[in-house]
Amino acid sequence: MKTIVESLILENPMRIEVARFRRRFLGFGGSSVNNAVLALILLCYTGIVMMVVNMRGDLPPIPIIMFQTGLFCFFGPAMLHGAIAGERERRSWDLLLVAPISKAQIVAGKFMGAMAALGIGAAAMALPTIIAAIAYGKTTLYDLVLAEAVSLTFCMLVCSWTLFMSARAKRPFMALGATFGTLALGLAVIPALLVSIVSGDRITTEMVGYLNPFVALATITSAHDTMMNAATSNFENMPFIPGALYGLPHVLIYLGFAAGLLLYAEKTLHFAENEVKFLPQNHHDA
Amino acid sequence: MLEVKNLRKEYGGLTAVKGVSFTLQPGDIFGFIGSNGAGKTTTIRMISTLLEPTSGTAILNGHDIKKDPMAVRRSIGYMPDFFGLYDDVKVWEYLDFFAAIYEVPPRDRPAIIDNVLELTDLTVKKDAFVQSLSRGMQQRLCLARCLVHDPALLLLDEPASGLDPRARAELKELIIELGRMGKIVIVSSHILPELADFCNTVGIIERGEMLAFGDVNQIVRDLHPTRALETKLLRDAEVAAQIVASLPGVLGATMKGENGLRIEFNGDAEAQAEVVRALVQGGHGVLDFREDQADLEDVFLKLTTGAVN
Repeated sequence: MKTIVESLILENPMRIEVARFRRRFLGFGGSSVNNAVLALILLCYTGIVMMVVNMRGDLPPIPIIMFQTGLFCFFGPAMLHGAIAGERERRSWDLLLVAPISKAQIVAGKFMGAMAALGIGAAAMALPTIIAAIAYGKTTLYDLVLAEAVSLTFCMLVCSWTLFMSARAKRPFMALGATFGTLALGLAVIPALLVSIVSGDRITTEMVGYLNPFVALATITSAHDTMMNAATSNFENMPFIPGALYGLPHVLIYLGFAAGLLLYAEKTLHFAENEVKFLPQNHHDA
Repeated sequence: MLEVKNLRKEYGGLTAVKGVSFTLQPGDIFGFIGSNGAGKTTTIRMISTLLEPTSGTAILNGHDIKKDPMAVRRSIGYMPDFFGLYDDVKVWEYLDFFAAIYEVPPRDRPAIIDNVLELTDLTVKKDAFVQSLSRGMQQRLCLARCLVHDPALLLLDEPASGLDPRARAELKELIIELGRMGKIVIVSSHILPELADFCNTVGIIERGEMLAFGDVNQIVRDLHPTRALETKLLRDAEVAAQIVASLPGVLGATMKGENGLRIEFNGDAEAQAEVVRALVQGGHGVLDFREDQADLEDVFLKLTTGAVN
């Protein structure tokens, strides 16, 4: 009897997705668009490393992690939007569904593929981050690891959200649009609207931005400075949500939501029901 | 053995398949015939566990498609009418992926992949990317994928669509070979003469109902109990018609063309030889004499109306 880890990860035949994602997104030889994007990324990456080296300690590492988080918000959906919707569109989905493989293995394999590719990106981004941390010298190792954990777990949340959208959508671009749309709404539009409505209310502002990873990363940085300047701070300037509640809780919340979304994505892959669901309303062809 | 028992599928108010039943034995090559929208694909998709039947079931070697779909999936190879392949993997990787899904032991996979590639004549393309294959090769790769786990039942939905004549002939040979290997093969197709060539059993479906099922020749005989003999004579065809009309086994003789005769006949071989002898002895100059055999296409046209759901 296989354990869940063996079934979903170690012996999951869908691990081929890791090789597919790597070949498709991290290797030259795919489509010309992929090659162009990859070349651009490599150029930007070289630029970031040179900029960090040239700034000689003026650049703290957390903004680099923020930048990395922004990249995850873009590349996660870009890589995963077609994971399931694309299989449907390509008509390869049926071949998976008639195979003796569980829906959980399909979802886990797709997720692993994207995470492996993004993990390589995160590992590459660790180089400028470490250079900046060493040169800057003021960020603690704990804050650095915490910030990376917030960034990576948010990446997992974005990927599982994209996978969920891909499981629900009929076409890959529908999934991509829905994912980018909801991310924009959740991270920028709705918080901005709420903050403008309750203008000046510091407590509401903090609560609205609490789950935003960029706010969390910024707070991890400023919490360090606040702690250093605690002696000179007065009560009125103290934040409503203490700095200690930024970081680790976010990691746990993001992981929890990611797991929930993956479970829910798996539950939406009812093939027979989907067959009916995706038939046009006026469909009469048997 | 595959037993399909009263399989039925309803989509809201539309009944796509209305209680289809049939039984197939190992080695049977079953041609599933019907117009577009007749219910062939829906039936095949239910047997393949892709669609849940509204009622009825199918049992493959003791495994019920409704109660034990995973066991059924391990025993079937399904090739849909339209399918996509992963274009960013190599041919052997694609087959290895599906071999892994079908729990083929890793140590056995290389040999099995080599075997199915040889069977489908794709050995030279083993290291090619799937996207570089022609349509015919992709069709054969899909069939190779169906074979990596040595299934007992193959469900091939319009496998010859889009193939050139040579590829069709090769596919036909391959299906015959699979039947010889003891697999049950269900093939749906519109190309009736081809099906008649290699299927030992056919089923004709229209508007979700199985109109005929059984041995190809038996169905033809059942629907055409009388045969037609056609002859072309050198002279006096009208006189010849009167002569043969009185012979045993002859139901009637009508003129066809200038000096041709069409003879409705239900006699045996001896009676048929007597017809030829009478024509020759009558000095009519027999230029041609042959039996106009009804084929699967005639049967299909006679049974069906072309109506769809």
